[in-house]
Amino acid sequence: MPNTKRYLITGGVGFAVGTFFLWNYPNLGLGSALLGGLVIAALCLLYSAPLADMIKAGLIAGMFGAVMTIVYGTHKPGVAIIAGMVSGLGAGLLAFQRSPQANPKKAAILGAEAGAIAGAWTGLSLFVMAFVIAPAAGIDAGDFAEHLSETVILADVLGLGSDILILLFAFAFSTLSGAILGAASCAARSLPLRPNIPLLAVIALPVLLIPLIDRAGNLLLLDALIPIYIFILLALGLNIVVGYAGLLDLGYAAFFAIGAYTTAMLSSPHLGINLSFWLVIWVAAAVAAIAGLTLGAPTLPLRGDYLAIVTLGFGEIVPILFRSLGGGPPGGTLTLRFFGMPIGIEQVDLTGGNKGINPISPPHLPLIGDFDPSNKIPWYYLLILIMGLAIFFINRLRDSRQGRAWMAMREDELAADAMGINVVRTKLLAFSMGAMFSGFGGAFYGAFIGAIFPSSFDFSVSIILLCMVILGGLGNMTGVIVGGLLIQGADKMFIPKGAELFRRIAETKARAEGSSTVGVSALQDLTQQRLLLFGIVLVVMMLVRPEGLLPNERRKAELHPDDDTINSNSVAAEAEADPSLAA
Amino acid sequence: MAPLLQARGITKRFGGLTAVSDVSFEIEKGSIVGLIGPNGAGKTTFFNMITGLYTPSDGDMIFDGKRINGTKPSEVTKLGIGRTFQNIRLFAHMTALENVLVGQHCRMHTSLLGTLFRTASMRAEEKAARQKAFELLEYVGLGRNSADEMAKNLPYGDQRRLEVARALATDPKLLLLDEPTAGMNPKETDALTELIYRVRDERDLTVLLIEHDMKVVMGISERVTVLDRGIKISEGLPREVQTDPKVVEAYLGTGHAAKGKGGGAPVFDKA
Repeated sequence: MPNTKRYLITGGVGFAVGTFFLWNYPNLGLGSALLGGLVIAALCLLYSAPLADMIKAGLIAGMFGAVMTIVYGTHKPGVAIIAGMVSGLGAGLLAFQRSPQANPKKAAILGAEAGAIAGAWTGLSLFVMAFVIAPAAGIDAGDFAEHLSETVILADVLGLGSDILILLFAFAFSTLSGAILGAASCAARSLPLRPNIPLLAVIALPVLLIPLIDRAGNLLLLDALIPIYIFILLALGLNIVVGYAGLLDLGYAAFFAIGAYTTAMLSSPHLGINLSFWLVIWVAAAVAAIAGLTLGAPTLPLRGDYLAIVTLGFGEIVPILFRSLGGGPPGGTLTLRFFGMPIGIEQVDLTGGNKGINPISPPHLPLIGDFDPSNKIPWYYLLILIMGLAIFFINRLRDSRQGRAWMAMREDELAADAMGINVVRTKLLAFSMGAMFSGFGGAFYGAFIGAIFPSSFDFSVSIILLCMVILGGLGNMTGVIVGGLLIQGADKMFIPKGAELFRRIAETKARAEGSSTVGVSALQDLTQQRLLLFGIVLVVMMLVRPEGLLPNERRKAELHPDDDTINSNSVAAEAEADPSLAA
Repeated sequence: MAPLLQARGITKRFGGLTAVSDVSFEIEKGSIVGLIGPNGAGKTTFFNMITGLYTPSDGDMIFDGKRINGTKPSEVTKLGIGRTFQNIRLFAHMTALENVLVGQHCRMHTSLLGTLFRTASMRAEEKAARQKAFELLEYVGLGRNSADEMAKNLPYGDQRRLEVARALATDPKLLLLDEPTAGMNPKETDALTELIYRVRDERDLTVLLIEHDMKVVMGISERVTVLDRGIKISEGLPREVQTDPKVVEAYLGTGHAAKGKGGGAPVFDKA
């Protein structure tokens, strides 16, 4: 097989990442697993085309299952089954999407093959987890013993070793669900449904089930997931401006800040206005949208670099403004000179200055009461609802005359103008729609955190959002979500947890050797290298795959100009036209 | 009948340079008019003043009874002037169908709310637009197979046709073609010429085309206007213009015209 090397490298790297980086104590386990699967999917995509579709699909989903098993699974057969099923479903789906089959039997076989590969990886990971990593990190085997007993009973019944049993479970269920999904995809395709419905179901189910799993396993996963989702919501809004309309916005965090501050001012004791969150979130979105128009208006004649610089300025001004609106000393006045006449203005503390606004009232629902900061489940579902609606409406925008106008403007502003597209209106619409979604995000953020500070909205937020959009794939919502999960997951989960893991391994080793463990904790400084890591990732991305992990097909074509026939032809056309005159 | 487009004393100055100087010129409804001239004659500048990219420094541009000096390009398009570009400016990374749909943008009315809530009228409009886009693609000779092809992947001749389809999608009264046959082989040129006639006859359009390939322009146009260094030097039927000494001089230089080698006409036929 000509691609064996590639296959091994991808699998090996993915496996190494999956095992070493993501294994940790069960807290945050599933989240790491989910995101870990995506890291690996990303790696597999980097080594794109020549791999056999089925193997690739199996690898991607298998890694997902493997990581899930390693991190969350321990030795429970039930977990092996679930992990196997999830990876099998994923593998079957991916395999089918990459090479659709018309014949249900063939589709089932394809799904089964992909599921088998996935299941093998999933099962294999158990051994690594149990016999290599857990001992190395000095992780207490107490949990294992407990789970093991269940397995041992089953294993005795079947007369098999417990690890073999788990491997078999993972393998069998993965293969089976792969086959089912292959056949189901094939059947779904022949129905008059939108073809992405099975995909939607496979994605939506785990997303909706996470809080329940989280509660059952006491994983405290939602604390990390909710901020990640908020950032993804913001990135989806930014994608309208940058991805669809092609307007480079470096100050997008400003709209996030405006949404959050609007919520804070209208829904807290700070100004004595305490409106319901359900009203304020709309106000926040509207204010952000108007701010989008306000920023958009002066930048209309600007393009590219110049636009980026103005938006950058706007992004800097807004947090400073909120800082300054915090008033001076109590009872102080601000003196302005107007044609030499001093005018005193009583300084009102609108925003709490550097101290921010604290507390902000949480949403209230009849049955649930006030959303409780310690119970994240209602928050999670509220956010999922907001995101679902955002994705739904952004999709509609994209497939409409407005969306086409954005893309036409991105492709060629002059030609779009000449085709009757009002460029001014189209740009402003992009800015305000993009800002609106971050207004929703800001409102939720303010209520969720319960307090806001100007420092939460600085330049780095805008940049990280832009990185999410670019890494995932400009102009493609799935890509943006994947990019967001990767970058935010790395930032909030993998890197801190990876650092923790390294530290534990090193400490265990040091203890075993009887030496001091003091210097070892310096390894935790890995967390502080995260910006360096992002930088490296982005540079590599831009060199290897500038269109992002899951590019919009159009963008992909744009960024690989080798086969760009329009330009070369028009040059040829001019060259031909001239001699005809000279003759 | 009043002319569809009327230029009255149009002048355009860029700083000290006068690109177009006091050009007056009319296009009758239903005619096919050629605007020719050597490189740098001011043809494109004149064109850009019709489409709204430039505002004339002096004079009036009147379209369909309305003064359109300084009207934005998108507004001009809305009034009923569709155009193509000299160096094909399709939306390269959108499909052929989407390109034509973008052309219909200014004739569609769905508001933002209509889009977000996908109202019945929005769906109906979208469906009609698609239908019309398919028809237009077929009309210019691009099959249904090309509809989902990215514009940049189409063969060169098809890209030209797609530009015409996109311009037709704006429902123009006047179609402006900027060197429509540039870079085409004789067969493609003939096919496009035929298309231009068809568009005029079947769709009740008026066509203004810029060319510097004399042969093409003589073949297509019913009337020809010649610009040289920003000044209108000749106007009339193609045959008359072809033999006009001023035109011969503009294209070939004084010396050549003075020698009168074979007169004007044969020289152009060779071009």
